[in-house]
Amino acid sequence: MSESLNFLDPTVLAGLDNLELRARVVVEGFLSGLHKSPHKGFSVEFNDYRHYSRGDDMRHIDWKLYARSEKFYIKQYEDETNVRCMVVLDTSASMSYSSGSASKLDYGITLASALAYFINRQRDAVGLITFDEKVNEYLPAKCRQPHLMRILRTLAQIKPGKKTDAVKPLTDLAASLNKKSIVMLITDMLDDEARIIKTLQTLRGMGNDVIVFHVMDDAELNFNFNEASEFVDMESDETFITTPAAVRKAYLENLNEFLSFCKKQCQSSGVDYCLLNTSEPLDEALSSYMSKRAKSF
Amino acid sequence: MVFLTPLFLFGLLAALIPIAIHLIRKEKPPKVMFSTIRFLKKTSKKLILFQHIQQWLLLLLRSAVIALLVFAFARPLFDQTVARLLDADPMSAVIMLDVSMSMRYEDNFDRAKQEALDILDGMTSGDEVAVIGFSNAAVVVRELNTDIDSARSLINSLDEPGYGTTRYMPNIRLADQLLETSRYENRAIYLISDFQDVGMSDAEEGWKLAPGTAFTGIDVAAEESSNLALTDVRSPEQLLEDAAEQQILARVRSTGTLYLDQGDVSLYVDGGLIESVPVDLIDRSEQVVTFTTSFDAQGTHYGEVRVTGDNFIVDNSYYFTVDVLPKIRVLLVNGEASDDWFDDEGHWFGLAVSSAAQSPFLLETIEPGELSAAVLRQNDVAVLLNVGDLSAGQAGAIESYVQNGGSLLLAPGDKVTPEVFNRQFADIVPAIIQSRGQLGLDDYLVIADFDRRHPILSPLSSDWSARFQNHWSLLPNESADVLMQFDNTEPALLERSVGEGNVILFASSLDLEWNNLALQGLFLPFVHETLRYLVQQNPKQRAYQVGDSLNLDPSGTAEIIEATDAVGNSIQFANGNFVTTAATPGMINARVDGNPVNFAVNGIPEESNFNRTPVANLYDQIINPDTEPNQSREVRTAQLIEELERPQRVWWWILCLTTALILTEALVANRTYR
Repeated sequence: MSESLNFLDPTVLAGLDNLELRARVVVEGFLSGLHKSPHKGFSVEFNDYRHYSRGDDMRHIDWKLYARSEKFYIKQYEDETNVRCMVVLDTSASMSYSSGSASKLDYGITLASALAYFINRQRDAVGLITFDEKVNEYLPAKCRQPHLMRILRTLAQIKPGKKTDAVKPLTDLAASLNKKSIVMLITDMLDDEARIIKTLQTLRGMGNDVIVFHVMDDAELNFNFNEASEFVDMESDETFITTPAAVRKAYLENLNEFLSFCKKQCQSSGVDYCLLNTSEPLDEALSSYMSKRAKSF
Repeated sequence: MVFLTPLFLFGLLAALIPIAIHLIRKEKPPKVMFSTIRFLKKTSKKLILFQHIQQWLLLLLRSAVIALLVFAFARPLFDQTVARLLDADPMSAVIMLDVSMSMRYEDNFDRAKQEALDILDGMTSGDEVAVIGFSNAAVVVRELNTDIDSARSLINSLDEPGYGTTRYMPNIRLADQLLETSRYENRAIYLISDFQDVGMSDAEEGWKLAPGTAFTGIDVAAEESSNLALTDVRSPEQLLEDAAEQQILARVRSTGTLYLDQGDVSLYVDGGLIESVPVDLIDRSEQVVTFTTSFDAQGTHYGEVRVTGDNFIVDNSYYFTVDVLPKIRVLLVNGEASDDWFDDEGHWFGLAVSSAAQSPFLLETIEPGELSAAVLRQNDVAVLLNVGDLSAGQAGAIESYVQNGGSLLLAPGDKVTPEVFNRQFADIVPAIIQSRGQLGLDDYLVIADFDRRHPILSPLSSDWSARFQNHWSLLPNESADVLMQFDNTEPALLERSVGEGNVILFASSLDLEWNNLALQGLFLPFVHETLRYLVQQNPKQRAYQVGDSLNLDPSGTAEIIEATDAVGNSIQFANGNFVTTAATPGMINARVDGNPVNFAVNGIPEESNFNRTPVANLYDQIINPDTEPNQSREVRTAQLIEELERPQRVWWWILCLTTALILTEALVANRTYR
């Protein structure tokens, strides 16, 4: 299991240029590490029969039909095509920050691709929205394989933008969703978090499931700088000269207040919140999605 | 505040090191691209300000630690205490500044003045100081006074030293006397000089400074010196007309630590160069140069011997005068001319007057009967030897001659009768004759005493061995001066001024029957000096040394004298007293009632000798055994300060404070993020 988990390590994944391969590695590695779930292969809506073939799970044989026809038929269930997932990826400048080998944006792209791959594997429709201060890419939710490839290509071509404005893409998304969907927002929330969460609440209020993957770099979370430096804001270009050790405590207090606010506001409005450290494996993110997926259906 | 080891204060520059490091390392911090600075900007401004204060405090502490360490090593003392201590021990000091001629060598005098000013700078308020500028005697004296600024002004006003010679002892005694009236017990003498060896020539054995009087000798002489000096010049003072060529001798010597072996010596007479002779001192220490010249014209000639070849020109010239005089006309009236020259007193007198090759006298001998007023007027002095039978007219002519400035020498013998003599000459002779004293064959009188200061007798100070078997007992009158006495206390030689003339009476004849004076060696000089004196033809002193008192009118008869000194400055006389002090080498040119007179003034040759004596020699000679070892003001102050330092121990408190600051620095540094 540990060997498999290594493939979820962001640093390992960062070495894989092929995003599809990266997504596959993530998903397959993640799935192989899971315990068998009673819900595995489970589909809630019957669609068709087909002849039993060797290797099929015996549990899916329609015994009633066998009694009538004495032939084995396997139940085929309708795919999750009725589940629409929108992966919303923040590509602002702040997402390009990295204290190690993988930036938040890399991490987010990997996560988005893994989610898209995984969703597509579940036969669910998956779409993609990338944004910074405006919507850069919009791919509607579809379940076809070529669409997944398109999503992955789009993700592979993402370049970091400048400023962040998550409200508008989410508002546009809310207006475009005419069916219950799962909205997965991958962002660092370094914008007006109150407005973002308010927009998410709106989405939630429309019956959508909303998951926020709050991606933060380890340096952002711990502020483990040593030397006095001039910190330059990657979005506003503002600067701040300080001695890190002197302000670390105050910084962490301010950060935790921010994180606490985000978490509390999300939870209070039914938005799943998942804080991700880019130095940690992606399985937590996928677990979060799985959990949401299980609860929802 | 004062410091015992003030050199450590240079270490204060080290306190700038932390600041320098701070400034040098004040480079812009590296830029770090960060996702957002919103959480940084929300940090408290007070926190940022506190961090800045901490950093500056740290900087201040480190500089303060270094500065305090420096202060501790410099060993500070509170100046109020020192000032109080020093004020409690004020000083009375005498600064003796050598202004002799040798101090003119290079910049000796400037260094001496600076040393004197440095001493004044080291004095504190309340100290009293006297200043003596001295050579052979005190030239400038300022008595003890607490006004140090005026002493400084006095020293600054001394433009240059004089031309006198160096004498330490009389001036040190003067300084010691000044200190007798000092108001403080802390007394000191500072002697600033080139410490010439000649200055010690009049050292007094046994004399010491007063107990407790400290002495400090400050030697300002150049380490190396070189000089060519005229140590002696011999020239005739007076010559008679038609004198032969004269020799002028000049002695040249190399003085100083560096030996000069080449030079030139020149003779100038009346401003014209007579001769120039090279001097070669390679194989001798001195050389005598001989010049030969003649002085023909009657009157005063002035000359100069000049040496060249060195840089110290003050002693390179020697000045002299030569008076060319007319001969003295002497009228001899021989009262007992004899065919036997041995018994002829006129013979002996004439021999004494005319025997010298260059006799200054023109002698005319007559019989008593030939004596007349006209004959007398043609001569400067009349000599009556044993003349007893003059007529009343002749006696009157003699008296008139004397009253009008003529001079008369009387030596009565057996031709003279006291009654006649006393009657004819009572008004002009210094004594009347009482009786003839005649002793036996084995008995005689000798000269027992004489006036050694009289111009006639001062050159004849040797013993008089003449024997007098016959003499006149004389009774001096009130106007007479007894110049010589027999051993029976009777006068042997008397003088009297009459009118404008002089009369000298000898109490014996020059006849060998009366005495054997004519056979004595002193007879000739006695006759010469007496005749010279009678016609007032004594050699007038024309040559002086610097420092001598110079009387331009020794006769006291001059009415107007105009004079300029060697450098051309007019000499001012006060109260009709025509006396001045020879201050500068050279010629003093005067006009005495319109008649030109020259006086030569020369420096003192020994002052050209730059041999030096160690200061310690003088110190050992004059310091009182009861005086504590000599200490400079600085040393004494340092000792006092060290005594003060023990109870204060300011450095100890500073080190304690430094330690506390180091701990504080460590504490602050530990809490300060860099």
